[in-house]
Amino acid sequence: MREQIEVIVAEDNIVQRAYMCRLIESIGFTSLKLIEAEDGQAALELLKTTRAEILITDYEMPFLNGVELTRATRSLDLDHYVHIILVTGTETDGYDVRADALNAGADDFLAKQHDQSALKARLKTAMRLIRHGKELEEQHRVLKEANDRINEDLAAAAHAQRDLLPDINTNILGADIASAFVPSSVVSGDMFGCFPLNDSQIGFYAVDVSGHGIRASLLSVAIGYLITPEFFTKSVLDDDGTPRPARLVRELNQRFCTDAHDDYFTMFCGVMDTQRVKLFYCQAGYPSPYYVDARGHVTPIGDGGFPVGMFSGVDYEDGNIDVDLDGMLLCCSDGAFEAENDEGVPFGEQRIEAIVKEIYHEPADKIPGKIIQALADWRGLEPLEDDLTVVAVKRNKL
Amino acid sequence: MIHSTQTDGGITVVRPGVERLTAINSKAFKDEVVALIDAGSSELIIDFTSTTFLDSSGLGALAGVLKKIGHRGELAVCGLGSEVMQMFKICRMDKVFSIYPDEAAAIRALSEKS
Repeated sequence: MREQIEVIVAEDNIVQRAYMCRLIESIGFTSLKLIEAEDGQAALELLKTTRAEILITDYEMPFLNGVELTRATRSLDLDHYVHIILVTGTETDGYDVRADALNAGADDFLAKQHDQSALKARLKTAMRLIRHGKELEEQHRVLKEANDRINEDLAAAAHAQRDLLPDINTNILGADIASAFVPSSVVSGDMFGCFPLNDSQIGFYAVDVSGHGIRASLLSVAIGYLITPEFFTKSVLDDDGTPRPARLVRELNQRFCTDAHDDYFTMFCGVMDTQRVKLFYCQAGYPSPYYVDARGHVTPIGDGGFPVGMFSGVDYEDGNIDVDLDGMLLCCSDGAFEAENDEGVPFGEQRIEAIVKEIYHEPADKIPGKIIQALADWRGLEPLEDDLTVVAVKRNKL
Repeated sequence: MIHSTQTDGGITVVRPGVERLTAINSKAFKDEVVALIDAGSSELIIDFTSTTFLDSSGLGALAGVLKKIGHRGELAVCGLGSEVMQMFKICRMDKVFSIYPDEAAAIRALSEKS
């Protein structure tokens, strides 16, 4: 059964009102339920307390005339639309009530002569529009429900992804490791990990899957699950314990190279070796991290390397640098360098280096937040276009 | 989106037609260049003079085009701005792509090869 549509008939003259109601009833629309209002003010009250969707109002009424009632109705905060038909014919000569009423928000007009077929046509129009509105409303509800479900799923996925990452602040073998992880959408194509390999070596990696959003996040999470500390140790450490991170990258490249798609990832991985007092690394297209020594001297690490999963058979190189135990290692994903201000100027390496020089003496846990803040200031209202990861590694002062 | 012309020597010069080749348009870019290859173009030059920014998806699309051509043809790029060049270097793309300063130099080099 079709839902009833409530119709308010506003007319101060009781005879005219009764006549209008009989006329509507005689048309025989069973889905209409009539509600009588003895003037404009009463009609306005009824609009607030009923679900009326059609208002047929006379123009000439005490307190509120038809145009004033129309205007007042439009300013009500109702959760449904009211189709307003103004009955005209009694107004003074020369006054263009229709223009005034249209401006106030009236939808249709009916001449006072009470022509049944004209009334029927107008009611049919009103009912058609109301039904159409209800269909749209229903579609909107279904879409919103689907959208809510997708958002819930995404939030759960983001949570699962976050759980794969190390704690924002963690301490491994006397080094403070602080990170910030900012997806450009809910989930991220960035991933990183760090863990002790034994009592003198810390292994770490940072990965940035090409593209961003859900597709990139699927691969980044797969990588996150794959590179366990055991997997890392087995791939990277030589028999004598010398780190060879390029072996891990070669292995991943072999595993992820396929002609089926253009997805790939960039990576930087390495081992901080506290006995050899060196950082061993392999760079695979990931932006060069910075090493900052105790005097604040900033050095970009590495001179490039092929991304992983792009070309099979390409080789990767091991590199190493001497580190000062009071130095800091800082990794930023390309989202940091590429963040643009409102004039389209990217933040760039020089600005990152300048900030690093300013803040390197701060404790590790302050560093990522300061870089994220500098990037936010730079972007202003521009949204983050790519996922952003910042990781700072620094020996904690005793 | 792309704009392509052919030289008398049968070399196809492609201009991406966008200032930024990113996740938004890189698939269309690749599909259109691959269509040129499928239609018989085997010597291609991609001119980035008017493209100032390439993100990781753009680079992936470009690598996809290179793999598509494989050994059956030649692919050269030219007109790389400093930011794009920097990205090429960090990803070692300068080792897999033939890079020329401009279209004329690229056309000359490809003509000599064939």
